[in-house]
Amino acid sequence: MPDGADEPAPPAARPRGGLGAVLKKRWRGWLRAVHRDLGYLAVGFTIIYAVSGLAINHIADWDPNFKASERTITIAPIPADLPDAEAVQRVVAAAGTGTPDDVFRAGDEIRLSYASGTQVTAIGDTGEVTIQARSSRFFLRVANWLHYNRGKKAWTYLADLYAVMLLYLAVSGIFMIKGRLGLRWRGAVLVSLGVAIPAAYVLLSGGPGTPST
Amino acid sequence: MTDRANDCPDLERHPDLARAWDRRTFLKTAAVGTAFMAAGGALVRIAADDLSREARASKRPDGRPRLPPGQRAIEYLKPMGGTEGNGDVRAFKLRVYGAVKTPLELDYAALLKLPQVQKEADVHCVTGWSLLGGLWKGVQIALLAEKAGVASDARYVILEAAHGFTANVPLSEAMKDNALITYRLNGKPFARQHGAPVRGLIPDLYFWKSAKWLTAIRFSKDDKPGYWEVRGYHNVGDPWKEQRYA
Repeated sequence: MPDGADEPAPPAARPRGGLGAVLKKRWRGWLRAVHRDLGYLAVGFTIIYAVSGLAINHIADWDPNFKASERTITIAPIPADLPDAEAVQRVVAAAGTGTPDDVFRAGDEIRLSYASGTQVTAIGDTGEVTIQARSSRFFLRVANWLHYNRGKKAWTYLADLYAVMLLYLAVSGIFMIKGRLGLRWRGAVLVSLGVAIPAAYVLLSGGPGTPST
Repeated sequence: MTDRANDCPDLERHPDLARAWDRRTFLKTAAVGTAFMAAGGALVRIAADDLSREARASKRPDGRPRLPPGQRAIEYLKPMGGTEGNGDVRAFKLRVYGAVKTPLELDYAALLKLPQVQKEADVHCVTGWSLLGGLWKGVQIALLAEKAGVASDARYVILEAAHGFTANVPLSEAMKDNALITYRLNGKPFARQHGAPVRGLIPDLYFWKSAKWLTAIRFSKDDKPGYWEVRGYHNVGDPWKEQRYA
């Protein structure tokens, strides 16, 4: 041992026995390590699926993809024999939307289209002018597109992979931390509750095939 | 040791209990808060729903209640999603084909040249809302059937829409005088999310049958369950029988 050199630390204690013994001693640690890494990987997917899930779940109450606006003004009826240019001018002046990119006139309708997506429709007989516009909710639209798997192709497999990751996270979560009482009491109650709530809902509601109210 | 006055243990004397007590207090507060919010929300919704109460009290001419079971009345169409069609009247084409003598293809201007009707009709979404008393303008499907010469053994109408969406409807429902190819509601054109420029209207069946972004009407001898029908929704979808799911 050279002078002044620190005495090397003794090697870490290794579990005795074969692979079985190592597994027995360390499986919970490995479970936690994999759970943690898959958890990191799942953050982005989970945010997409959870936020989009909330948005889509309430689709009856709001539009999860677009913010739409509509306003109606009434002008003097536009005679059917009024030349197109003049009719369009009247509508544009009333709507205040500027020069349209496209004009379509058929029956009693005059429709003005704009590159922005805005549509102005005048009903000649009634003089009612409806201005419809909308803008995309960017994040939600993308998240919903992914959630619905509208793009198909590779996302199908990535979504499958995420589902398998979630299964691992759910099951490994049960065993990650032993706790004082193991799976007894808190663990058992909460796991049972998580199974019982959907089961009870199916039983009480009658499940598939039953009219919902 | 418990302080009986506020039911809180003496945390100074038992600091080991502090964490557990904090957690318990937090969970209790969160549970009470959530229950309070949910009850308040439900109360506001029930109290404000005069429209549904009135509709439940009235009857249709056929004797059925105005509001089918499990529905609540709302004031505006709700956007229910779906993969949108083009929306542009210039791109619109409607095919009428299948079990017919003379298949038709109509553009938007040609559709507007046909005899138009305006019908007051209620619509009922399978998710539980109903829009009552809308004024729908368009062309009766029965008129298109007559023009195309529907085969005597046709029994179904398949409404086809953008991106392969389909909805199957018994011929008897599609031939009712309020079953339309519609392009206007309450004097206004449909917004893109509601099926612009043209959608179907089969008011006596759940609203998913009234296909948005309509592209074709196919008459058929055989039934062909559509997009939602093969995904667990009822093949017929009668709101008064609550035929929501298969």
